[in-house]
Amino acid sequence: MPSTEYQGISAPLTNLGRSLLPLRRDQVHSMESPIGGSPSNEVELESFQRQVADRFHDLASVPSDELLSLPWVRKLLDVFLCCQEEFRVILFNNKSQVKKPPMDRLIADYNERTVKALDVCNAIRDGIEQIRQWQKLIEIVLCALGGDSNSSQRSLGEGQFRRARKALIDLAIAMLDEKDSGQAVAHRNRSFGRHNNSSSHSRDPHHRSLGHFRSLSWSVSRTWSAARQLQAIGNNLAVPRGNEVLATNGLAMPIYTMGSVLLFVMWALVAAIPCQDRGLQVHFNVPRQFPWAAPILSLHERILEESKKRDRKNACGLLREIYQMEKCSRLLGELADSVQFPLSEEKEKEVIQRVKELKLVSDAMKEDLEPLEKQVREVFHRIVRSRTEGLDSL
Amino acid sequence: MELPENPNKDNNGYESAEKIILRWDSTASEEAREKMIFETDRHEADLYLHAVDEIQRSLSNASISNNTNAAAAVAVDDQSKVNSTIQIAMARLEDEFRNILMTHSSALEADSLFDPSSSSFSASSHHELEEDDSVSNEDSSHNDLLRLQFQHCESSDSSTFRSTSSIREVDLMPIEAICDLHAIATRMISSGYLRECIQVYGSVRKSAIDSSFRKLGIEKLSIGDIQRLEWEALESKIRRWIRAAKVCVRILFASERKLCEQIFESVGTDIDDACFMETVKGPAIQLFNFPEAISISRRSPEKLFKILDLHDALMDLLPDIEAVFDSKSSESIRVQAAEILSRLAEAARGILSEFESAILREPSRVPVPGGTIHPLTRYVMNYISLISDYKQTLIELIMSKPSTGLRYSGDQSTPDMEFAELEGKTPLALHLIWIIVVLQFNLEGKSKHYRDASLAHLFIMNNVHYIVQKVKGSPELREMIGDDYLRKLTGKFRQAATSYQRATWVSVLYCLRDEGLHVSGSFSSGVSKSALRERFKTFNAMFEEVHRTQATWLIPDTQLREELRISISEKLIPAYRSFLGRFRSHIESGKHPENYIKYSVEDLETAVLDFFEGYPISHQHLRRRSQ
Repeated sequence: MPSTEYQGISAPLTNLGRSLLPLRRDQVHSMESPIGGSPSNEVELESFQRQVADRFHDLASVPSDELLSLPWVRKLLDVFLCCQEEFRVILFNNKSQVKKPPMDRLIADYNERTVKALDVCNAIRDGIEQIRQWQKLIEIVLCALGGDSNSSQRSLGEGQFRRARKALIDLAIAMLDEKDSGQAVAHRNRSFGRHNNSSSHSRDPHHRSLGHFRSLSWSVSRTWSAARQLQAIGNNLAVPRGNEVLATNGLAMPIYTMGSVLLFVMWALVAAIPCQDRGLQVHFNVPRQFPWAAPILSLHERILEESKKRDRKNACGLLREIYQMEKCSRLLGELADSVQFPLSEEKEKEVIQRVKELKLVSDAMKEDLEPLEKQVREVFHRIVRSRTEGLDSL
Repeated sequence: MELPENPNKDNNGYESAEKIILRWDSTASEEAREKMIFETDRHEADLYLHAVDEIQRSLSNASISNNTNAAAAVAVDDQSKVNSTIQIAMARLEDEFRNILMTHSSALEADSLFDPSSSSFSASSHHELEEDDSVSNEDSSHNDLLRLQFQHCESSDSSTFRSTSSIREVDLMPIEAICDLHAIATRMISSGYLRECIQVYGSVRKSAIDSSFRKLGIEKLSIGDIQRLEWEALESKIRRWIRAAKVCVRILFASERKLCEQIFESVGTDIDDACFMETVKGPAIQLFNFPEAISISRRSPEKLFKILDLHDALMDLLPDIEAVFDSKSSESIRVQAAEILSRLAEAARGILSEFESAILREPSRVPVPGGTIHPLTRYVMNYISLISDYKQTLIELIMSKPSTGLRYSGDQSTPDMEFAELEGKTPLALHLIWIIVVLQFNLEGKSKHYRDASLAHLFIMNNVHYIVQKVKGSPELREMIGDDYLRKLTGKFRQAATSYQRATWVSVLYCLRDEGLHVSGSFSSGVSKSALRERFKTFNAMFEEVHRTQATWLIPDTQLREELRISISEKLIPAYRSFLGRFRSHIESGKHPENYIKYSVEDLETAVLDFFEGYPISHQHLRRRSQ
């Protein structure tokens, strides 16, 4: 290989920095063959990039009412597990390369990121438990208003409405973002007036225990922050430089890819599920050359947009079912506030309709929450296992 | 507490019941809000409960009569009214339920948790670690292994937890409260308000458990927090966790379980279970987060023993965990505990393996002055003595043979081990032997950094001897290493001693040989005086040099030092004595004999006592032969 050709390629690299990475096939070829990099793993690496891209394309091509739904989040976790598994295989197939610098440092960095993700998994587990608590409150509402399966066509009387209203108020308070919980108790009186219009709510043991209950549900200390954790995961996540790619025989790329996937998945989980100090201001600087960049960036943008919408700004989690739950229960609560007894046929029909909608949400949650919890736990286990393997091989 | 049935007064009974219920509607009157029935008056409480029963009875009557009565429309109206009354009653009962719970839901009493009589905590004394004496850490800057400091593991806590060797339920609240709660729960559940009941119960009891957790010192630490902590800090947290976990599982959770069973006795299937899980699932997960984080943390040799402690504690607790969490809904907790246990085992294995590699790689090149025992040797032998203390656990955990060196590779850069002679040994024993093999391999490498070959041999002798002494000093270690290998090691240091002697003394004693001193084959008196003088001069110079140098060398073990000196003397003294005897006259008959016969036999005997003391000597120390 004439030396001049090689020099011609390396010069623009050093001048133009990271945007001119040997990402295009022709450049990869011309970079790798004169240096004697193995063409064998090029297929493997490229296939990995493509797989990641395909999977995220699938995730990104859902309509907006499916985005961030429970089934979608479960799919997201599946995608992560698949990518992680393939990544593991790549590392295994390139074992000899893995132990040499700078690969060992890059892997150590990746392992550090994954450890930080473990705490996010635990926080998400707490968040799922919280959602479960809300779902139990909804069950009370359904039980009261005849939405559960074992109540026959009972006529809806004042007693049932009172019961439902009580649970709806508890739900509304429980669903408010933690930082607003102080104000929430005050607002409580305004929206659901009849139940409690005294100013002695602070003495009411019921409210006290509710607020108390919320702070107990996190298994992390008060200083733990999901936002900070995400920042830490994304810390120094930079596109590998040309010399790094060469020195690692191309393996720096899948590491960067996996790091980005990890960051996005954790970010999306935090966006969807309630957790302590949810902040979504993480930057995703992925060069468009990566085939998976477009779908991930598009998802990121859509989710961010969702978080800025007026009726979702203060949501404690962007999960679609949470939105539905909040909307349905609010509507039902307003309806319950406005009814007078005896119920007109029209009102009764309306109530039954709202209850049906609420039941749909509740059933969806009941079905998917437990499997989601198991999946999050599986992600936790896989991360631990791959880290242990990584430690052993080093 | 049944009221006598009075069907004729049915309506009146219902009306007065309704009145009672409405009187206590907290949405309707300030007074109703301010007072709690069950705090006020036993009689009031009973009346209220009867009222609820009455309403419930009429509800079921109404639904019965609904099926038979033609005036269904009227009945429906009544039913709606009754429903409304029931709801008011249930809302009230919920508040009362919560109130009774909160009154009796503080943290576990101090005397349930702490044992006031015992004044010191008995640390498992056989896990005490040796203080590392005379460590010379010349390479401490880049060698984690050498920087290790062993500490005595004593607890400095002034109070101790009560003995928690088995499940012991305590009464979490007075029996009257439990009866009231039971009475309320029964009525709530039979009216279909089970969910509210569980929710209230769970939320209040959870806060009680949280208080107990704080009292027990259980912290909310994230995995990141634990990664950032120094190991010493973690060690004490592990100790604390082990003590707290025993109290949690055997006393706290078990008592909560009993409380649920009492309050929700015969109230429905598995309701006590649901309440128990509602209460305890979160705290249990929080409790187990800590050992899980430890099992995931980075592995390094100093962590082995605390991790084994944690493993053993959890293993010990497992049957009780399974007993307390024995329902279907608590499966995830049992599973998590078992997972953590196996991860801790894996961590222990990984640490041992990491330890073995670290010994092999330990890179310090600066030779230990005086050829004495290398800090690495001390550290490794202390470590494996401790391992033999944990033999019971480790024998179960270590299941595979050491991976390197199983096949003779002929590669000089790695040690190898012949397994033929090691038949029938447990994997743990093989690992310990392997560790000693690797240690020796490393020491051999280090010995090559001595410029003086004699010192290199001395170094090996000292260190292998130390290994032998440590093995002999621990019955468990000795039993695992086996006397065969011990013999091999003994032979090794004896051979090093021999090599040393050869390296130093052959040339010295060469001066005292007979050949070359007699001239012209003449049998009678032909001794070359000049050659003889040369010999004496050379001998003196050599001996002085050896004496000066090797006095600064060190053999720490007294007995070994003595033995080697005796061995030297046994060769040196007779040779010198005989040499003197045969040839002194020739020197003394010439000029300045004192320049040549500097030392008497006694002088040499005394001088040998200076060897291997580790102190430099002054020149005047060697007494000149005075005449």
